[in-house]
Amino acid sequence: MNAFHSIAGRLAALFALAALLVLSLLGVTLDRELASVLERQQIEQLNTRFQDIDYVLKRLREPEQWARIHAKLDAVTPPDHNTQYWILSDDAQIRYGNALAEIVGISQGTSSIGELRVGGRTEPLLMRSAYFPADERHASFRFIVGVDSEPYARSRRAFRSVMVASVSGGVLLVALIGYLITQWGLGPLQRLSREAHTLSPSLLSQRLLTAQLPTELSDLAESFNGALDRLEVAYQQLESFNADVTHELRTPLTHLIGNTQVALSRERSVPQLVEVLQSNLEDLEGLRGIVNDMLFLARASLGERPHELLRCSLAAEVEKAIDFLDFLLEEAGVHVQVQGDAQAPIESSLFRRAVTNLLDNAIHHSPPGAEIVVELSAGDGQARVSVANPGPVIPAEHLGRLFDRFYKVDAARTKNGESHGLGLAIVKAVAAMHSGDVFAASCDGVTTVGFSVLNDAKDSA
Amino acid sequence: MKVLVVEDDLKIADYLDKGLTEQGCSVDLADDGHDGLHLAMEVDYDVIVLDQMLPGLDGLALLKSLRAVKDTPVIMLTARDRIEDRVKGLRAGADDYLVKPFSFLELLARLQALTRRDRRGRKQEATELQVGDLVIDLLARKAFRDGSRIDLTAKEFALLTVLARHQGQILSKTVIAEMVWDVNFDTSANVVEVAIKRLRAKIDSPFKTGLLHTVRGMGYVLEERPGP
Repeated sequence: MNAFHSIAGRLAALFALAALLVLSLLGVTLDRELASVLERQQIEQLNTRFQDIDYVLKRLREPEQWARIHAKLDAVTPPDHNTQYWILSDDAQIRYGNALAEIVGISQGTSSIGELRVGGRTEPLLMRSAYFPADERHASFRFIVGVDSEPYARSRRAFRSVMVASVSGGVLLVALIGYLITQWGLGPLQRLSREAHTLSPSLLSQRLLTAQLPTELSDLAESFNGALDRLEVAYQQLESFNADVTHELRTPLTHLIGNTQVALSRERSVPQLVEVLQSNLEDLEGLRGIVNDMLFLARASLGERPHELLRCSLAAEVEKAIDFLDFLLEEAGVHVQVQGDAQAPIESSLFRRAVTNLLDNAIHHSPPGAEIVVELSAGDGQARVSVANPGPVIPAEHLGRLFDRFYKVDAARTKNGESHGLGLAIVKAVAAMHSGDVFAASCDGVTTVGFSVLNDAKDSA
Repeated sequence: MKVLVVEDDLKIADYLDKGLTEQGCSVDLADDGHDGLHLAMEVDYDVIVLDQMLPGLDGLALLKSLRAVKDTPVIMLTARDRIEDRVKGLRAGADDYLVKPFSFLELLARLQALTRRDRRGRKQEATELQVGDLVIDLLARKAFRDGSRIDLTAKEFALLTVLARHQGQILSKTVIAEMVWDVNFDTSANVVEVAIKRLRAKIDSPFKTGLLHTVRGMGYVLEERPGP
């Protein structure tokens, strides 16, 4: 059982099976061919013997010649009796041969070839007989020649045992050679596996050496290396994300501890203490915001889905978000235009949260007097929301990472507001919760950021 | 208002006791599920604050046993914010739900909403609110200060009404966003700040005394304070 878990063992077994099949076919064909050749020889031998005597019998003139014929038959019968002659007749003078009683009455007709079983022999005799009707010189009689098939059968048996022995030997040999070839052929794979064993998580830049590998394996090793590349990127992102979280939490914590320690190190008046508590509370509220958002993102990335999806007009939901942001829009002197509409099953508060974050982001990056365009469309089983605002072009290398947690295009730019860089990450999480995706584009002075939600339900159509 | 707090974390139980007592509630504490259930069965509370993870008897089991007998309003506290937990809690008969870390102001607003929901039938809804010399006519949807009409947008009026209904009580930005815009999610957009600034420009700036105050780190309160 265990041998079949190794490729070499399995291939050796398959080689053996193939050899068994081919050699057996070959053996059976040869055996058939040999049998027919032997049978032809046997019949030829029979016919030669028959014709020799038949010739004499046909020229029989005098009844006295029977003694000479019997003597001739005695002479041509070999000592091992593998050829035997019989003459059957009512006339005792003509009759010839041993064990006549057994043979009498077997053969009818004028001339025939057949088999004849004679006591004391395992193999039947191949016989040919001819009937001579009575005439003026002699009574009717039947002449029979029997050739023993035992030698032929013996040759066939010998051939068969040699065949079986050589087929089994051949199969074993093929299996052995197959095993050795496979072992040798799989050498590079074993080297590769030993090399993969040495890869360590602490050395992320380590890769498999593909140069000396055969083509089949170098493909595998290259795709494996590709996976390692992606893993390294993900790992680095995770590390930088951890660093970001730590940084985002460390700053307010440092402030809280220091602020409290300073306050407690001297006698303070009540207003001073109130001031400290208020400052602390601001930091704590900030921390609570980050923790809640991180919890939300963690739940989304663990595959949490909205509890209740209701099919509704996305434009109506966008209008609600605009209504909420109305004061901010007026303050920034920015106008929003909503184009199109789409129906999709969504959880309203999640959807509005995503749209609010997108609009808030657009307001922050729009110059005063600008117009933000929200476009809603449906197609390909998705409903899409895109928010476009005029603003400086975002370089392509930043676009794909806009939705990363804590990612900032320009670290110095997000000084304003309480935004901690999770707004667009939340948009991505909301999209994922609705089996959708996010997209971003930036060209010709317009930045478009948006997301899609799954829209496959046809029930309310 | 009689409140039962069932919470095993001593620090949280302690500040809830202090905070709610100062708000004029009479507070009973229980630090495990069995004591909590016993008290909830024996005494008629106006509202129960129930932690979901408790030693002895778990919050959901306590709620189920309680609901078999009484329908005292219950607000659940939980550290886990999974939707299914929330659904389980609400299905077991909780009237509201708060996820830790929660703010005290939010808890207070929800407790009041729960008990008010209870009393609404008995008390006639006011048609006019007054804070100092500010008068709000809820039927005509108009506001006056010192006798002169203040021109407000619909949203500004809604914000003012919410603040006036809770006059003297500090309302956090989250609570205001929920009450005025029905926004029940966290957002970094500082809408409430901007809205307060605009409302203040209309109801306070033209007058000598301010009514709309900012409590740093906490939120906003509408009240008449003695002048300096």
